[in-house]
Amino acid sequence: MNLEKVAFGFFIVLAMTLNFGFFIGDMGNPEFHHSYELYAAIVVNLIATVLKFGDRTQIGAIHLSTSLVADIQLIAAAVIWAIFGAMGDTPIATSTMVSIVSLSGGAFLANVTSVILLIIETIMLRR
Amino acid sequence: MNSIFFLILRRMRAPLITLIVSYGIAVFGFTLMPGLDAQGQPWQMSIFEAFYVISYTATTIGFGEIPYPFSQAQRLWMTFSIYLTVISWFYAIGKIIALAQDPALRQAITLARFGRTVSSLYEPYYIVCGYGETGSLLVGALDQKGMRVVTLDIDQERINELELQDYQSPVPGLCADAKLPETLLQAGIHHPHCRGIAALTNDDHVNLAVAVAVKLINPELPVLCRAEHIETAANMASFGTDHIINPYELFGEHLAMEIHSLGTYLLHEWLTGVPGTSLPSPVPPPVGHWVVCGYGRFGKAVVRNLEQEGASIQIIEAQPELTGCENFIRGSGTEAHTLIEAGVERAVGIVAGTDNDTNNLSIAMTALELRPDLFVVIRKNRRFNSVLFRKFNADITMQLSDIIAHECLAHLITPMLAQFLHLARSQSNAWANQLISRLVAVVGENVPETWGAYINMERSPAVMCLLEEGKPVTLELLTKDPYNREQPLFLVPLLLIRGNQSMLLPELETPLLAGDRILFCGTQTAKAAHPLLVLNQKVLRYVQEGVEIPDSIVWRWLAERQR
Repeated sequence: MNLEKVAFGFFIVLAMTLNFGFFIGDMGNPEFHHSYELYAAIVVNLIATVLKFGDRTQIGAIHLSTSLVADIQLIAAAVIWAIFGAMGDTPIATSTMVSIVSLSGGAFLANVTSVILLIIETIMLRR
Repeated sequence: MNSIFFLILRRMRAPLITLIVSYGIAVFGFTLMPGLDAQGQPWQMSIFEAFYVISYTATTIGFGEIPYPFSQAQRLWMTFSIYLTVISWFYAIGKIIALAQDPALRQAITLARFGRTVSSLYEPYYIVCGYGETGSLLVGALDQKGMRVVTLDIDQERINELELQDYQSPVPGLCADAKLPETLLQAGIHHPHCRGIAALTNDDHVNLAVAVAVKLINPELPVLCRAEHIETAANMASFGTDHIINPYELFGEHLAMEIHSLGTYLLHEWLTGVPGTSLPSPVPPPVGHWVVCGYGRFGKAVVRNLEQEGASIQIIEAQPELTGCENFIRGSGTEAHTLIEAGVERAVGIVAGTDNDTNNLSIAMTALELRPDLFVVIRKNRRFNSVLFRKFNADITMQLSDIIAHECLAHLITPMLAQFLHLARSQSNAWANQLISRLVAVVGENVPETWGAYINMERSPAVMCLLEEGKPVTLELLTKDPYNREQPLFLVPLLLIRGNQSMLLPELETPLLAGDRILFCGTQTAKAAHPLLVLNQKVLRYVQEGVEIPDSIVWRWLAERQR
């Protein structure tokens, strides 16, 4: 067992699960989507991205690109939340919440791709 | 370039992850810390506000406590965050700076930049391995002749020197070992515009390695190699090195040529000279009794050639066991009594050919004391002694670098020039003298330009068009000024090659055929005007018939109707 591989797999899967946790639930309802979950998803996604740096193989390149897609989508969601989020007493608008959650949904797809790649890579190893 | 990018990314993994984790902890903690707003109401930072505060704190900018003054709990967390994030930042920055100074990375960047420069060359170029005395001379001459050069040298100082030189076009140089095939590939031996490679390092083994590598990787590429040992030369010849330059042998041959045919020698020196220099006017060495000091590689070549010319020779050698010489006088030649013993009193010339410059000068000076009218041939070994040799002003000073550079030029400018010079050697001295006076009348005393013209569709479409129409094209057509057909261009056709046949100094009436190759020698203006003649059909027709042919279909039709 290789500790590096454990950390690699751990962060990639964790990025997907956190992303899924944030995404699941009623799209327009802020109560289903906690900001901390989005925050954790972003941090873990960034770590996963850095872990994928420096792999010259074709599959490594796809890995990195899926992670970059997820990062961009999640950061976009966070930026929208920061700009159009709850101001004083007015709660967050449903339309804003929908766009945040749908962006994170896109990121989730990218994360799923990443996990599929990880599984394919593992199966191809045959050792 | 790609590999450098990945190298940086890989090395940056640890610092980046440290940074992300420390930010993550600091931002998360801040959102949990209880605070009070302006009205004294309980308030907690949002994630975005926490990120903002941490961002300016971590980078040590420090805007203060925004948006409200912090509570004790927030300040406590802030203190912790400062130490956490600032240290991570310093760690990351330190890593980046260390990476930028990493010799491996720098080497990779230089290599990539060199490779990019070479692959973006879009005109023919030559590779010169070894930018020493010889290499720099050759690079300078090629550059003067308007050719592009790429250089390799193992010594960084020489590459620095190259960068300081003021050449007409930039000369990419790389400090690398030419022995490594990887280096040669970087220098572009696969590049479609690469026309040849000259291995001129002072190490025979390196030159040999270059020749082997090039012949394996790109057998089509012409290879010129310097070889100072006969064994290396034979080795190079065994796998088809295109031209092997043994400077000592060459000098011997040139010396012999100077004795028996000064004109041919002059022609040779002149045509392969560096542009801008003028025609040398040496005195032919006399035939008679010669004293040769030093029987090394240089001495052997000189002795063999002098003997062929019918001179009697006395060798003076300090270590005859090492050089395998018979019939010698032991000594260095720097003392008068050795020279007298060798018969300097009745000699016509002396060769100071040891591998020590001081001794050579001493030999020559002692000999001149004894016999002021001696013909002196002296060997120069080190570049930094040039001043002394110039001051001494021997009849012939043998300079390795000069000889090699001349020979390389003869082969690199156009292969036809080497062929011409080879043919010229079998001609008489009178022939050579006549040709020189003819050339001087046409192009002046300075070193002329030489270039080749190829009668084929690719290189001279205008000539081919006329030939296809069945019109006779004579060589004379290519010697007229494209701007004014009454005037000739200042050039002389030296050689015409047709199949296996070669004609020295072809007559102007010679009709041209497809596939002919012609070597011209002339002024720079003539060389510049020549492409217009062979490329532009309209110009060529004007030169042939004296009329401008109309350009467009309509005008051509009108012109035909008028006729």
